[in-house]
Amino acid sequence: MSAVAARAAPARRSGFRFGPLWLAVPGLLFLAVFFAWPVAQLLGLSVVDPENGGLSTESYRRIAATDVYLRVLGITFRIAGWTALWSLLIGYPLAYWLARLPDMFRGRMLLFVMVPFWTSYLVKTFAWMIVLGRSGIINSLATGSGLIDQPLPLLHNMFGVMVGMVHAMVPLAVMTMLPVMTGIDRRLVQAAQTLGAAPARAFWLVYFKLSLPGVAAAGLLVFISSLGFFIVPAFLGGRQETMLAQLIITQVQELLNWSFAGALAAMMLAAALVSCWIYDRLFGISTIAGGSAQAGAGRIRDLGLAILGVVGDIAGRAAAVTQRLLGKRICGWLLPGFCWLVIGFLVLPTLLVIPLAFTSSQFLEFPPPGYGIGWFRTYFESPLWIQATIRSFMVAFATALAATAIGGFAALALAHSRTRWSGLIFAFFLAPMIVPRIVIAVGLFYLFARIGLVATDLGLIIGHTVLAIPFTLVTIAAVLKTYDQRLDQAAATLGANRVRTLTGVTIPLVKGGLVAAFLFAFITSFDELTIAIFISGGVKTTLPKQMWDDMILQLNPTLAAVSVVVFVVVTVMLLLAERFRSSSSS
Amino acid sequence: MTNLTTKPTRRTLLQLAGGVAAGAVAAPYLSGTARAATQITVADPGGPFGPAFRKAFYDPFEKATGNKVVNVAREAEPTAQFKAMVETKSYTWDVCTLTLSARDILKKQGLLDPIGFSHADVPKLMPEAISAEFMGTDVYSTVFAYRTDRVKNAPASWTDFFNVEKFPGRRALRKNPIDTIEQALLADGVPLDKLYPLDIERAFKVLDKIKPHVAVWWTGGAQSTQLLQSGEVDMLPGWNARLQAAIDGGTPAKIVWNQGLYSIEGWGLPKGGPKADVARQFIRFCSDPKAQAAFTEALAYGPTNLDAYQTIAADRAKVLPTSPENLKQMAIANEDWWSANRSKVTERFNAWLLA
Repeated sequence: MSAVAARAAPARRSGFRFGPLWLAVPGLLFLAVFFAWPVAQLLGLSVVDPENGGLSTESYRRIAATDVYLRVLGITFRIAGWTALWSLLIGYPLAYWLARLPDMFRGRMLLFVMVPFWTSYLVKTFAWMIVLGRSGIINSLATGSGLIDQPLPLLHNMFGVMVGMVHAMVPLAVMTMLPVMTGIDRRLVQAAQTLGAAPARAFWLVYFKLSLPGVAAAGLLVFISSLGFFIVPAFLGGRQETMLAQLIITQVQELLNWSFAGALAAMMLAAALVSCWIYDRLFGISTIAGGSAQAGAGRIRDLGLAILGVVGDIAGRAAAVTQRLLGKRICGWLLPGFCWLVIGFLVLPTLLVIPLAFTSSQFLEFPPPGYGIGWFRTYFESPLWIQATIRSFMVAFATALAATAIGGFAALALAHSRTRWSGLIFAFFLAPMIVPRIVIAVGLFYLFARIGLVATDLGLIIGHTVLAIPFTLVTIAAVLKTYDQRLDQAAATLGANRVRTLTGVTIPLVKGGLVAAFLFAFITSFDELTIAIFISGGVKTTLPKQMWDDMILQLNPTLAAVSVVVFVVVTVMLLLAERFRSSSSS
Repeated sequence: MTNLTTKPTRRTLLQLAGGVAAGAVAAPYLSGTARAATQITVADPGGPFGPAFRKAFYDPFEKATGNKVVNVAREAEPTAQFKAMVETKSYTWDVCTLTLSARDILKKQGLLDPIGFSHADVPKLMPEAISAEFMGTDVYSTVFAYRTDRVKNAPASWTDFFNVEKFPGRRALRKNPIDTIEQALLADGVPLDKLYPLDIERAFKVLDKIKPHVAVWWTGGAQSTQLLQSGEVDMLPGWNARLQAAIDGGTPAKIVWNQGLYSIEGWGLPKGGPKADVARQFIRFCSDPKAQAAFTEALAYGPTNLDAYQTIAADRAKVLPTSPENLKQMAIANEDWWSANRSKVTERFNAWLLA
């Protein structure tokens, strides 16, 4: 909020003939052709009678006739909401701690945080089944040690879903908040304390407030990404945990009623847009340009400040009590202790995958009855697996480049623009995240089939770029929000042209955000299944597609072996990148 | 064993079939292959099916006809892809495996081409396994299994499965009305041959009673294997080969065939495909009993050509759905009823689950 206020000061610049929004045009065109058009075509089907091809509102009447779809929508929102809340609660202290670490150490710690990213969510889900199941690790330990008599119900209920989803989403939340937090000048907190604010009050009213754009962006990203989940609730959930994406997939794939699927997708889209709008009103984050900050927002801001003040006082008193009870030394360990616990939670499934990969069993069972390297041999001797691995890396790399460029320019455009269009444009760029992937996938398949892009690597890259753009845009936009644009102006005053300002000033300063965006895009593509299923046509198989084919019929430890290989390769890559980055910056 | 002539070209297959000799089955397919070799793309279910189909069908077909078969993995429900493929005329597949329900959906929308031969050409094929647009290659059955180490009082029917007092144990059901509705009705005493049309009201009354006792609602076949193998549940319904996979891997469990419902998977042709001639030839080839017998070596699915049992070892036959001993306890699931009612019943089932 204060970042907005700070940036409101510089006068609107003139002199750009086309206005800054032109930078968003390539992205807009790209999404118009490869996202809006195919999805609109599919949504259009929702008002077409499947029998005779005429116009019909039958699908919508069917939704209205029963409450089951609204209930599933409610469940979907509840699960996504809780996931966002828990991801923020767990992710914020972790991001705060990381932001305070020295640069080198933070880079290494970040690798731990990103570990879940590099383990396919298919494999992670099964790892959680092994940890949480009735005869799983936790229950075996607890009953074996006599802590409890009956196994705890940890799986096939809301708890299981939350563990799976929060685990998948915490890295996203941390990665979104971290660039904002590292951009906060800590001397501001010190200044507040010098001026007499208690430490807790200084934290809440200064630091926390300055980190809010990151928090809100993380919350929105997590919430919206969670809306489309279907594998986690299917495997870790129980009777009640059905999400809308599952129903849409059933309609598209099993019942072949695309009209009804279109109607369900439209309902989900509308509900997601409404929540974005409410979010925007409350936090004002999606109006990067601050265009719609109106009188109401001012009142909300005052209210927010008052709330933060109260929170600060309460937190101050709680901290004082805790410190008296535990002593200063232990209190100093609370935050790192908590963060290490969270990191443990994040890496647990991946650690589990390692022994599973070396198992001699036919199944993903823990502990393995014996050890061997048979499953690695299966992997390395299979040209299918190797080809899929190489293709996944290449497609993900190309996707990351394209999405970072498109998202970066769009973020720049929106940060510089103050028109009322910018809110709409921002929403449009976020839309690929809200629309269920299956809808995008089927729509793209239709389009690609006509222009010969089915079963091509280019088709996969385009599809994945569509999905990755929202992540890159939000990540870069969050950094630009805390970025002082007067630096650009200073460069311009000193005679630098637009390109030189961008490459010489803006990009180096927002490098952290660009790297994060690149990694987001990379992993979005690397772990993407739905688009791959449709676009690959079974011929150009990616790694997740190959894993899916394998696990849908017969779960075997090849999946674990593949995960371990991918994990090792990626870790080496990241370590090299980190070394390169730190050596080039010093 | 028999001692017919052994064709060198079929040697691989023969070894697979346990050294049992084959007749000159390849001969009918050899005619008309004088022209240049064609490469067809076959969409199979992927996973373990790929290598099993390759040994049993693809390689022998290549050797017998000189054509090439490239296999790709299709989705569990390929209907959406199939539809998009035909409508946009981008034929990435020439032949695709379909379930009976997928066949009916696709046929209704006019997306299938005829296979070009009939039951009269292959009289030993199960009559349900062949229609104008489809030929079944394997039979799977929805049965239930229980852990022999946990369930002391062995259940023998769906009535037992639904009786939680007399047969205690943690249970799973499939999160889908298909099969689950039938199981509830069978448990309530509806005879296997009088199931259809399904009495939905009655089924939900039975399901109401078991609802609080169902610990897990599974959604995918691999999950059912995992549930049985890990001991997450003590008894669960599932597809026989998935449950058998856990048993083959050493899980102490037993399959109950009584009152099972079977269905068929087989080949269909996308409408207007450019290589339909060779694809038809391939489908015809897959009706061969020896090839089908070879397939059962790898996966516990039943052959549709019952002559295959002449060359299947007795031990293996016991775990196959179409062996005479098992087949007589079961009935075929009625896809027509489900085609007509699936959408409505699925909606009701979802509402019931959430209630």
